Amino acid sequence: MDEFEQELRQAFKRQPAPPGLKNRILQRRRIVAPRPSFPLFAWNRLAASFASLSLCILAALAIYGGYEQRQAEQRRKAEDVRQQVMTALRITNHALNHMNQQLAAHHRVRQESREN
Amino acid sequence: MARDWQPDFEQLVDNHQSMVFSLALRMTSDRGLAEEIAQDVFLELDRHLGKIESPAHACFWLRRVAMSRSADALRRRKVRGLHLWVKINEHHGLQLEPRTSPLGGRLEALLATLPESQRAALVLRYQEDLTPEEIAATLNAPLATVKSNLQRGLKLLRAKAAIHLKEFVREKEYARGV
Repeated sequence: MDEFEQELRQAFKRQPAPPGLKNRILQRRRIVAPRPSFPLFAWNRLAASFASLSLCILAALAIYGGYEQRQAEQRRKAEDVRQQVMTALRITNHALNHMNQQLAAHHRVRQESREN
Repeated sequence: MARDWQPDFEQLVDNHQSMVFSLALRMTSDRGLAEEIAQDVFLELDRHLGKIESPAHACFWLRRVAMSRSADALRRRKVRGLHLWVKINEHHGLQLEPRTSPLGGRLEALLATLPESQRAALVLRYQEDLTPEEIAATLNAPLATVKSNLQRGLKLLRAKAAIHLKEFVREKEYARGV
């Protein structure tokens, strides 16, 4: 080791820690919150998991209920439309029959007049 | 597994606070930041106290974590250059410990200008008196890299010292009225 390295060793001696460093470390150590014991920690985690699961199930049920309600509403509207179409067809059929009968009567009258 | 040695946190702080603080100070060149790093290192030691197996292991662990935390702090902070550092130092006397000699203070200022990896190797070599193998284990770096950093760092520091310390000697002689 040469003279320069000896000089470096002298220059790089450890510095004393600032006064009160140990006390500040111990103070910060006390401030750090104590960790909960395992059973309480486990119960908390279990309760949190259960609550999350319940919320998920409730949300899924709400979504499914809304979907079902909407489907029922659409089915009811479709049935109403079907009834209206059937009524319209019945009316049309009735009108056509009536027209048909009138035409047949008219045709019969003309044939009788020709024969006479 | 039973152990003969039981770690005593307060005793470990007493024994190693100077080492941890000095490592952080020489790596960061900032007393406030160095103290903050030292506190964080010891609080981390407290959390890992169950894994510490012996006094030598505690010392090794503290050196390793102190260097790692200092490197993290340096990454977060832009390191100031030599001229600003020396200027602040001379005008406000914030950085140097009163017991440090002016020459030692200059060498520390020059050390602060070296690249981080070279500075780390030199600090562990000349402050902690570690061998290159021990430095490699502490920094978790290849031995060849550590040897290279030591050589390059020493060469660079020697070159800088040759320039700056000549000026320093001239200033001292001028102040004495030579």
